[in-house]
Amino acid sequence: MSVIDILFRVDEICKKYDRYDVDKQRQQNAYGDDAFARLYAQMEEEIDKAVQKAEMISMEKNRAAAVAMSAEVRRLKARLMEEIPKLQKLAKKKVKGLSEEEQEARVDLVFALSEKIKEIQDGTMSASKQTGGWGASSSNKNILFDSFATTSDTDFDNNFFEQSEESSQFRQEYERRKMKQDQGLDVISEGLDTLKCLAQDMNEELDRQVPLMDEIETKVDKTTGDLRKTNVKLKETVNRLRSSRNFCIDIILLCVFLGVASYLYNILK
Amino acid sequence: MSTSDPNKLMAKADKLTTLSLTRWSADWKSAVLLYEQAANAFRVARNYEKAKLAFEKTSKGQEMLSSPWDAAKHMESAASQAKEMRSWSEVADFYRRASELYMQCGRSQPASDALAKGARALEDAVPDDAIQLYTDACEILEEDGKEQMAFDLYRAVTSVYIKLEKYTDAATFLLRWGLAADKCNASNSQCKAYLSAIIVYLYTHDFKQAEKCYNDCCQIDAFLRSDQSRCASKLLSAYGEGDVEEIKRVAQSSTISNLDHVIIRLARKLPTGDVSSLKSDASKGEEEPLDENDLT
Repeated sequence: MSVIDILFRVDEICKKYDRYDVDKQRQQNAYGDDAFARLYAQMEEEIDKAVQKAEMISMEKNRAAAVAMSAEVRRLKARLMEEIPKLQKLAKKKVKGLSEEEQEARVDLVFALSEKIKEIQDGTMSASKQTGGWGASSSNKNILFDSFATTSDTDFDNNFFEQSEESSQFRQEYERRKMKQDQGLDVISEGLDTLKCLAQDMNEELDRQVPLMDEIETKVDKTTGDLRKTNVKLKETVNRLRSSRNFCIDIILLCVFLGVASYLYNILK
Repeated sequence: MSTSDPNKLMAKADKLTTLSLTRWSADWKSAVLLYEQAANAFRVARNYEKAKLAFEKTSKGQEMLSSPWDAAKHMESAASQAKEMRSWSEVADFYRRASELYMQCGRSQPASDALAKGARALEDAVPDDAIQLYTDACEILEEDGKEQMAFDLYRAVTSVYIKLEKYTDAATFLLRWGLAADKCNASNSQCKAYLSAIIVYLYTHDFKQAEKCYNDCCQIDAFLRSDQSRCASKLLSAYGEGDVEEIKRVAQSSTISNLDHVIIRLARKLPTGDVSSLKSDASKGEEEPLDENDLT
């Protein structure tokens, strides 16, 4: 038989024989049908448990564990705060066998209980208590911001703006590089100025050359025309010369022939 | 014939040209040939006097033959011989004659070139005549609408004026240069000319004139938009504040280093005189306009 089976069996038996449990009956009879008292007692127990836990937190060295425990304490507080309105309703209900004063006292009891719950230390309050607790940090939720603001007031004066060695070196390097860049850019700009001036002068020089080129073009055109004409004339002349030469050759041959003919005629005569 | 004595050639040519009973008209053609040969021979022999004479006669012969071009060319040769002889008045005369002959041919560029050559020859000896020749050369070109060719002449005149320390004349001529550049739309040269004029005025320590010059030049759009006008305004404001360091820095800037080297030399010598006195004058000048605005 396993442990779990044993546990179940024990529970069943206890439930069956509950009415024979003397202490329990006494407890229940003490409060009887008084739901308020029962609930009140329950809440007191839980408050005590929460207070114990809170004390343990303050003694706890391990921060993670402390944080976990304070979270649990907060959860308990929240649950208790939820039960408070129930308790208030019960307190207002009339219970037989209770005097008027006791009725009013119950309302006060409820109020005192709620105050007690609020006073239970949880993580946030303990943190503020540790750092010295300045100002009226009223609600837990805002403490975070305030602490940040107030810590910043004190911390800025001392360490915040102090440059570490690394950052000051970095800044110096940055300044040095920026200066070098500026120098380089200056050199480039001067070079560009010179280039610009040269380009403008070249532009003007070319403008000056343009009409000269036009003049040269017209002159050269005229000269080529003249040359062509001259060539044509020369060709004509040469042709004529050649043809006249042929003509001369013809005449000479004719004269020779006539000479030969006359010679023959003289001989035959 | 070329090896024969040039004197003999001269004599022969003279005989051909002189009229006498046997000769009714001078034979210039052959005479010119002979004269030219003689002149060349004299030049080689470095006989400047005779060479000059021979060239003169050649030129006259060419004129008679109605070829002004050749005449002008020979006149120029004669002038160069005169230059060797250092007879400056003759140099000027010959070059002027040559220029006239070129103009007869209708060629303005060679005419102005001849005058420019003459001026260059006379620059050291008789600078005033040189300036006159340069100015005439510029006018010839401007009449013909060839202002762009005149820029070199303007530069030469400016340098001569500055050498003679006639700074106001130099500045005036620079403004004339700017005008010529404006006519042929050479805005870069124009702006450089105006900036040079302002620098010359500042060199003479005539701050008011420099400012006036700057204001006049700013009427011209091309100058207003240019680098040179910015440089000029920086220079003038530095003068106005009496800041010597700033003046020196502007003078070292690249805009001024792109100007003519004569002007650069002047700019590097700025500021001349006491700049702080200019500062007080400037502040006094500012009070006056307030009174002028008073309509009473």
